[in-house]
Amino acid sequence: MSQLIPPPESAPSRENSIRMVRLLGTVSLMCGVLIVGTNLATRDRIRQNQETIMRDSVAELLPGVKKQVVYSIAAKGELKVMNGIEGEGQRFFAGYDAQGKLAGVVIEAGERGYADVISALYSYSPATQTIIGFKVVDMRETPGLGDRVRSDEGFLANFKQLDARVENGKEVHPIVTVKHGAKKNPWEIDAISGATISSRAVGRMLQKSVENVTPVIQKNLDRIERGQ
Amino acid sequence: MTETKPSVINAENTPFINGLWRQNPVFVMVLGMCPTLAITNSVRNAVSMGLATTFVMAVSYGMISAIRNLIPKQVRIATFIAIIACAVTVVDFLVKAISIPIYLALGAYIPLIVSNCLTLERAEAYACKQPVVKSMLDGLGMGLGFAFALTCLGIVREVLGAGTFLGFHLFGPHFEPLVLFLLPPGGFIALAILLLAFAYRKERQLKKAEAQS
Repeated sequence: MSQLIPPPESAPSRENSIRMVRLLGTVSLMCGVLIVGTNLATRDRIRQNQETIMRDSVAELLPGVKKQVVYSIAAKGELKVMNGIEGEGQRFFAGYDAQGKLAGVVIEAGERGYADVISALYSYSPATQTIIGFKVVDMRETPGLGDRVRSDEGFLANFKQLDARVENGKEVHPIVTVKHGAKKNPWEIDAISGATISSRAVGRMLQKSVENVTPVIQKNLDRIERGQ
Repeated sequence: MTETKPSVINAENTPFINGLWRQNPVFVMVLGMCPTLAITNSVRNAVSMGLATTFVMAVSYGMISAIRNLIPKQVRIATFIAIIACAVTVVDFLVKAISIPIYLALGAYIPLIVSNCLTLERAEAYACKQPVVKSMLDGLGMGLGFAFALTCLGIVREVLGAGTFLGFHLFGPHFEPLVLFLLPPGGFIALAILLLAFAYRKERQLKKAEAQS
């Protein structure tokens, strides 16, 4: 039996082992330096691109908006006006038309989908307390299936007048995703057939965000309308 | 015999053309089948994945080839994976810095390149034995060959499965698309048809060469 088992290849000597560790260490160090260097070199450009894409997305979700003010909500529900888009806390963008009238707000939201977190923006009308637009900013959902939450026309039609009313700091009807074709009420989202997990993630994302953010917006509506 | 010898020499001396056509990674070597079947449901996805893979292969093979004489054979695979993963991360940052819309289109596919067996196979079979320029040309040729194959498959699947090309509708409103081609079984069927066409063409060329000799 012992003859059937081939003898182990020449066991690495101490010198050989040190050589392997040294090489792997050097390669890892070089790769690390390259990654950190690329990150540092591209960081500002990526930030600029993200700000541009964010502002363009707000303009897309609130057509006709001439001025944007970025707010952040601190941990205690305090509202702050931000200078750029970088900062702590939950952000939202207030959009104003040419007359300086509040056209709506665009709120950032995120929720874990099938592969990773789905990051999205949605536009909310404080006057009608409805969600009037939705756009996926970043996601890693399955191409051809889950990623249809970004482009499926039927799915995006859910967000033309989605009921997001809040009374006494609580949602009147929590937003919920229902099976494809089973939508009956204005607070329900009709799922995409074959992309149920991603569709449900969008529903959870909006439900949580509406519950946490819109009460603060309604409470500070006068201030937001003045752009302060 | 006199016919085959020069072609082998040519294949060794022209790594770019070799990967692009003679040893096409999908149609000839049948490598990298996971992304080939998973993301070719549209032309845009197929082209994006192909180009990202090309960049990663060219850059990482250059790096692997540059240190090929220093790598002990026991840790070569770990070293290749570290270098390929590094190239993929760099590509991820660069694409994000160049254009966010392109990053959004490619975002889901870029990390998948590390797990593509084609990248590792060529590193092991070619880049760790050849000089830097040849290795980079091989990566470029193989990557573009991969992109070409993915695009062919993407065209068949998108046109038949959605009736569109790059999102533009090709047929009238009465066209009923064969949705099967957008689903995984459609990927297998489309790939089988293309592999068959490739094999048939190769067979005919061989017969022709035999008849001439």
